[in-house]
Amino acid sequence: MSTGTRTPVVAADRPRAGPVAWLTTTDHKKIGVLYCVTAFAYFLIGGALAGAMRAELADTGNQLVGPQSYNTLFTVHGIIMIFLFVAPFGVGLANYLVPLQIGAPDMAFPRLNAMSYWFFAGGGVLVLLSSFATDAGGVATGWYLYPPLSGPRYSPGVGPDLLILGLALVAISTLMSGVNVITTTFLMRAPGMTMWRLPIFTWNVVVTAILGLVAFPPAVAAFVLLLFDRRLGGHAFDPLGGGDPIVYQHLFWFLGHPEVYILILPFFGVITEIIPVFSRKRLFGYTGFVLATLAIGALSTGVWAHHMFTTGVVDNPFFSAMTFTIAVPTGVKFFNWIGTMWGGKITFRVPMLFAVGFLLNFLIGGVTGVMLASAPLDFQLSDSYFLVSHFHYTMMGGSVFGIFAAIYFWWPKAFGYRLSERLGRGVFALMFVGFNMTFWPQFVVGLRGMPRRIVDYAPGLGWETPNLVSSLGVVVLSAGVLVFLLDALTSRRRRTPAGDDPWGGSSLEWATSSPPPEHNFTSLPRIRSDRPAYDLHHRAEAGEAGRPRSEETA
Amino acid sequence: MTAARRSASTLLALTAASCSSSFGMPRGSTEQGRDIFDLWQIFFWAGIAVAALVYGLIGWSLVRYRRRRRDADDAQGLPFHANVPLEIVYTAIPVVIVIALFALSFGTEDRASSVSPTPDVTLRAEAFSWGWRFSYPGDGVEVVSEPSGEGVPGPEIVLPLGETTRIELTSNDVIHAFWVPDFLYKRDAIPGRVNVFDVTPTDLGEFHGVCSEFCGLHHAYMTFTVRVVSPNEFEAWLASERSTP
Amino acid sequence: MKVALRYLWAYAAFGLGLGTFYYVLTEEWVGSIALWFLGVMPLIVALWWTRHGPSAAVRASDDPGADPAASAGTSLGSFPTATAWPVFLVLGVFVTGASLVYGLLLLPVGAVMLVWAIVGLARESRG
Repeated sequence: MSTGTRTPVVAADRPRAGPVAWLTTTDHKKIGVLYCVTAFAYFLIGGALAGAMRAELADTGNQLVGPQSYNTLFTVHGIIMIFLFVAPFGVGLANYLVPLQIGAPDMAFPRLNAMSYWFFAGGGVLVLLSSFATDAGGVATGWYLYPPLSGPRYSPGVGPDLLILGLALVAISTLMSGVNVITTTFLMRAPGMTMWRLPIFTWNVVVTAILGLVAFPPAVAAFVLLLFDRRLGGHAFDPLGGGDPIVYQHLFWFLGHPEVYILILPFFGVITEIIPVFSRKRLFGYTGFVLATLAIGALSTGVWAHHMFTTGVVDNPFFSAMTFTIAVPTGVKFFNWIGTMWGGKITFRVPMLFAVGFLLNFLIGGVTGVMLASAPLDFQLSDSYFLVSHFHYTMMGGSVFGIFAAIYFWWPKAFGYRLSERLGRGVFALMFVGFNMTFWPQFVVGLRGMPRRIVDYAPGLGWETPNLVSSLGVVVLSAGVLVFLLDALTSRRRRTPAGDDPWGGSSLEWATSSPPPEHNFTSLPRIRSDRPAYDLHHRAEAGEAGRPRSEETA
Repeated sequence: MTAARRSASTLLALTAASCSSSFGMPRGSTEQGRDIFDLWQIFFWAGIAVAALVYGLIGWSLVRYRRRRRDADDAQGLPFHANVPLEIVYTAIPVVIVIALFALSFGTEDRASSVSPTPDVTLRAEAFSWGWRFSYPGDGVEVVSEPSGEGVPGPEIVLPLGETTRIELTSNDVIHAFWVPDFLYKRDAIPGRVNVFDVTPTDLGEFHGVCSEFCGLHHAYMTFTVRVVSPNEFEAWLASERSTP
Repeated sequence: MKVALRYLWAYAAFGLGLGTFYYVLTEEWVGSIALWFLGVMPLIVALWWTRHGPSAAVRASDDPGADPAASAGTSLGSFPTATAWPVFLVLGVFVTGASLVYGLLLLPVGAVMLVWAIVGLARESRG
């Protein structure tokens, strides 16, 4: 009797548990967990760095960390949060979920998958070394590494070299993952799982993967040229040698802007999986949503120099127009989400709380982004705390809330037991209040003229109060994260079983056990829509006649 | 005041700043700045309107369509999941809005960044790590920063009210930026390039200036002050600067 | 899969088109070249796929009416489980990279590890 499983050839013996199993695994689920756990550890490190920064900024005057240390802190904080936390967490989720969501037994290239994780791990260690383990002090150029400041004359230490190497490894990791995700999605979907039935999360990570492939190479080129300038006597970015620092900015931001879409798109996907489930209603406007995602991916490659409006050397109107354009597909997604909740039966389980928090926060990030799209407004707002707050509202209020939503949503699937609803609500409340308390005042103080990346500020400008409130907000935010760690530990001890489908999910991962077996599915259900698990569980209950379930097919 | 009253008044002040009609943005003390402030007002109120609409819709959905206790355990929401005319409308309206916002921005930028062929004053600003060398080449005056550090006041430059000063901005080493928040204008100081922009002050007073492109160790201490005085006072100041060594 | 191919063509057209428009508007080389290469990459894949892609027969995954039984028993290729070469390769890269900063003595060590791992991976693929 055929079970409908496609039968991959597997090796007979492999270590099943213990550190060796984790070091040598090629199982996408284990690799996904490795990515997410490693990325979360970097979140805690990057967060501690931010805590130190905010402790210093709580009051005027230089009390805690000197300028050199502070400059290292914000440089490393940025690098860690962007390249070692949010992006890899998205890759980890993609690794874990894409094969499950498309009905495949693993990724197309399992060993390449393992390699991409280890390149990330190795690159991350190099980044940490670049910050802490160098005798000249860590890299302190800002996460952009703009020359000439990052060049040999003004940053002679080894910090930037290590950072560039670390980022190169992380870039290679991203390229490998990108190839894997695209190939897997294009070529390994289960029977009946057409592209237009893909879960939105998978769509989003495919576009993310394409963006990674197109965007990273120019930045790697920029880093290599910078390394030439620093170590091999090059003058690519040295005006005294006939070079141009603006070329670096073009190359860097050609990655830099798609990078922020790489950071948000997977989490658009996450909350688009969560909102329909907890509204008990299908996603509103699936087709439009997919088209919007594709548009965002394409357009994001054409907006890079809106980070350069104040240089005076780029065509501001072109980039301003493109940036305004990309606001449209991003904005209409809100209507997809609202349209999904409208007419639903909404339950406020913890994943839904974080999804709603995402909506509330990301809207502010988006509206302020439209303000920043206007070049003349940028003349005031760029490089100020207004900008810092804008990108924290999108990257933290958006992506990080999406990360916590994903953790609470898929934890039962990955580990077989639930997290605590009660503690989860506490995590959400503390994080939501703490996050807004930290970053809302930064809009205020940015408008009052506080530039970014300063260790200290003069008294009497009205900057003290907002900075103090912002620093206190970090305390509340940190409390939320601590409660989450408590939840993770105590839930593990309690082990409340989750079952295949604790939430009433739609996509294929909810049609297999929690955690899924080796190679994911013992039998694949028939796929006739973009909600195969929902169809499977509800048709089974309704006992629809004339439609045999796949398990019964001889 | 007790701690409670102090924190309450702090919170109130913060909220008041957030709620003031300009949301804390300076009103602009130059012609260029005032132009930008007018644009900001439009964006600010448009942002408030969009946020109010979207928050309203979200809030309404969460309240009106929450699952009630009387609902069956697996009660489902309404079966609609597409409405093409609606989707087209809610895509088209944002397109119209952003076209309008872009058109307004284009006009404002054109005016704010336009450089007059006949400025009244020319000020050359050279940024270096970590300070400024300002010079009025036509008048033989130079103002240079003291060595930078915590608590060290930055240099002061003087500009005449109502007259157009052309600023020629460059850097001697790394990328810096010249920002006077009250003028709502900043521009990068790039080595190997000279950025030129006009400033036409409309208000008297002293205005704080900062470096706004991270430039290394004492980036935070690269401040300066712009003092706007009447044209007569400006001439007097130039004369006194010329005479003192 | 036709859908996937269509997206590749669309991205290629977008990159090449936008790059050309940008160049005409600004004559700024860095961005123009980056955008053109952005278009060239999916173009390469799309061209290759068009010439070498699978037959016109509809795959089960693109057939909206397919049942899981449709591809029962088909081999999806090998899924190598548990290999130490990826970790070892990265360790080699790490040591090689670190040698540029911490001392060239590490360079041969890293290089040997790197080559050994690459050979190991290649042999594992064949076997």
